[in-house]
Amino acid sequence: MKIFIDPPNSLVLFDLVERFGHEPLSTMAAIQERVDNLEVDMPPMNVTLEDVVKGLKYAGIEVPSGVRGRLALWGPLIEQADAAIIMDDCPYSFGCVGCERSNLMIKYLVQRRGIPALHVKYPETDEDAVNFVALAKEWMEGLK
Amino acid sequence: MSEERETRLFMISPRSMLTPDQLVRMVHSFGDKALVKETCYGCLVEAPREEALAILAKVREKYPNEVFSKIRAYRCSDPRRCRAQHGTRPGFAQLEEEWALLSKIQYGLEQVEAGAKYNPKPEKKRLDVNAFKKICEVQ
Amino acid sequence: MTIKIAQLSCGTEYSSVQYEIEKAARSVGATIVYPDVSAADIDKAVEEFGFKPRSPQLKLMIARAAELASGRYEADAVFITTCFRCAEAALVRNELRRYIQEHTKLPVVTYSFTERLKASQLLTRMEALVTIVTRKELLARERQTGITVGLDSGSSTTKAVVMENNKIIGKDWTPSGAVVIESATQVLNNALEQAGITMDQVEAIGTTGYGRFTLGQHFKAKLVQEELTVNSKGAVWLANRQKGEATIIDIGGMDNKAITVRDGIPDNFTMGGICAGASGRFLQMTSNRLKIEITELGKLADKGDWRNAKMNSYCSVFGIQDLVTTLGEGKRFEDVACAACHSVAEQVYEQQLQEIDVRHPIIQVGGTSLISGLVTQIGEVLGEKPIVPPDSQYIGAVGGALLSSGFL
Repeated sequence: MKIFIDPPNSLVLFDLVERFGHEPLSTMAAIQERVDNLEVDMPPMNVTLEDVVKGLKYAGIEVPSGVRGRLALWGPLIEQADAAIIMDDCPYSFGCVGCERSNLMIKYLVQRRGIPALHVKYPETDEDAVNFVALAKEWMEGLK
Repeated sequence: MSEERETRLFMISPRSMLTPDQLVRMVHSFGDKALVKETCYGCLVEAPREEALAILAKVREKYPNEVFSKIRAYRCSDPRRCRAQHGTRPGFAQLEEEWALLSKIQYGLEQVEAGAKYNPKPEKKRLDVNAFKKICEVQ
Repeated sequence: MTIKIAQLSCGTEYSSVQYEIEKAARSVGATIVYPDVSAADIDKAVEEFGFKPRSPQLKLMIARAAELASGRYEADAVFITTCFRCAEAALVRNELRRYIQEHTKLPVVTYSFTERLKASQLLTRMEALVTIVTRKELLARERQTGITVGLDSGSSTTKAVVMENNKIIGKDWTPSGAVVIESATQVLNNALEQAGITMDQVEAIGTTGYGRFTLGQHFKAKLVQEELTVNSKGAVWLANRQKGEATIIDIGGMDNKAITVRDGIPDNFTMGGICAGASGRFLQMTSNRLKIEITELGKLADKGDWRNAKMNSYCSVFGIQDLVTTLGEGKRFEDVACAACHSVAEQVYEQQLQEIDVRHPIIQVGGTSLISGLVTQIGEVLGEKPIVPPDSQYIGAVGGALLSSGFL
């Protein structure tokens, strides 16, 4: 199944989804499509004006451009996802997940789609991590 | 996703005894089409997608719980993301944080492999008002 | 020498504007860099800074600013930019600007962008950052020497000044025509005639304003420089405030500038976006409507009270609508003229002066400084009446003549 990960650039979630037999949907793949597309050269990411305008599908013109540009990347991923795994209270979220408002919108868009979604807590201790991995594994095995 | 190339980063958990140098030498031995670049956290591998996935499977087989991987949007040494060109890009701090977390995830994977099950801790509840009142009265 | 401009930002890559920022920097011989920080530095920097934003990217901006402040990371100038309409980012952007100014001597420029940002909009700002870094010695120049000419090709008017041994000996201005070279040639010839000097006696020419590159090429100017630094030099020379601190306010025909200087060298500036509502253009439209000359508007405004005819020039279109309404209500022309001046003053205060720390004295320059009612209203809004030096509309031309003499 295609599983959207949140944070969408997370190494840990990407790895676990792949490890437990599913296809992770991530920012990296969305950016790769743009980076490899030489028809549009708008470095560094080739996120174009057209992308930001497409973001209007998810948020109105009064919403900052950075939010709309991010949603233009993630929105289509959420639309094609069969399920989602979300790490709540993630203490690290830089790069594409640097905007808190955009991050709130991701969680909302997943909820609105009504796909199965697992919310996991950021593991603070080794014991937490055992639960984190066990829960993710059990849930993903149940999706097959 | 592009079938043309896949660039992956392989990150070694801080709990592991494996070094980036050992990892790179091992990856090199798996295939000759792959471009492998040693990094401080492990290595970057660039290869046609099928070969990249085959390398991933072999690395997982050899080091199931201590090497982690995700794809990277940019090619190896892409100047748009190269730190030497203009300093670190924002995602760098996240990778650093995730690297630190891998130690716990490695432990989690090992325990789950050994049979550990999901066993949630009871949620913390707010102190009952009457119980709190009693504490105040004792004081 | 490549100038390193440290970028502290949020949202540029996802708004499709990072390329434009880097293009603008490249075109003035600068490069954009990001101060290196590790994850551990971020929490510490945010804790010390004291403002704790929810968005991680804004935390990263704070950590990068702390790297610059500590001197651990070296850069020549700072560009702070965030998405337009993001309140959280606007707070951080402004406080970081203040923080950088308090902790470093680096010139800073702040900007809030939309996805429509183009490199050309940033060009003058980036050029000024580079000028401040690379031409410090030239900018420190206090006296004009020899015979030099300054040409200022502005959006509304074109000005020429001839100077000899630190004195203005000829000057002229005209509304800018379609062909900038023609307007400039006309004012230059008149200024030369007034000075009793021929072109072959002129030792150096400096050009500034929107048409600076075209004029620079045509007149073989020794100095072709953006108007932010040139105008500030002209202003402190005309006001005889070469030492100490000052704030220069220049309300232009198309955009506004607010520049702070220390010992005649600009160290920070803001430049308003192109907005007719907050510029001289609105006053021109007002005087047209009142059927009076723009030169009469200021005196008329000084006789009125803006409180009797509320007007808001947030946008020139709606501002004119307000104007029509107030005139329709039979308000006094004096009050309407005063309200128009007050409205522009308020806009300048809200859009520009919020982004710099106003230092005293305030020197008001540019063509609009001749509209006394506007100067009065700027004084009312700021609580201190600005100084208007003689020949205040010639700052750009004087700055050009003064600085170009540095090449003799």
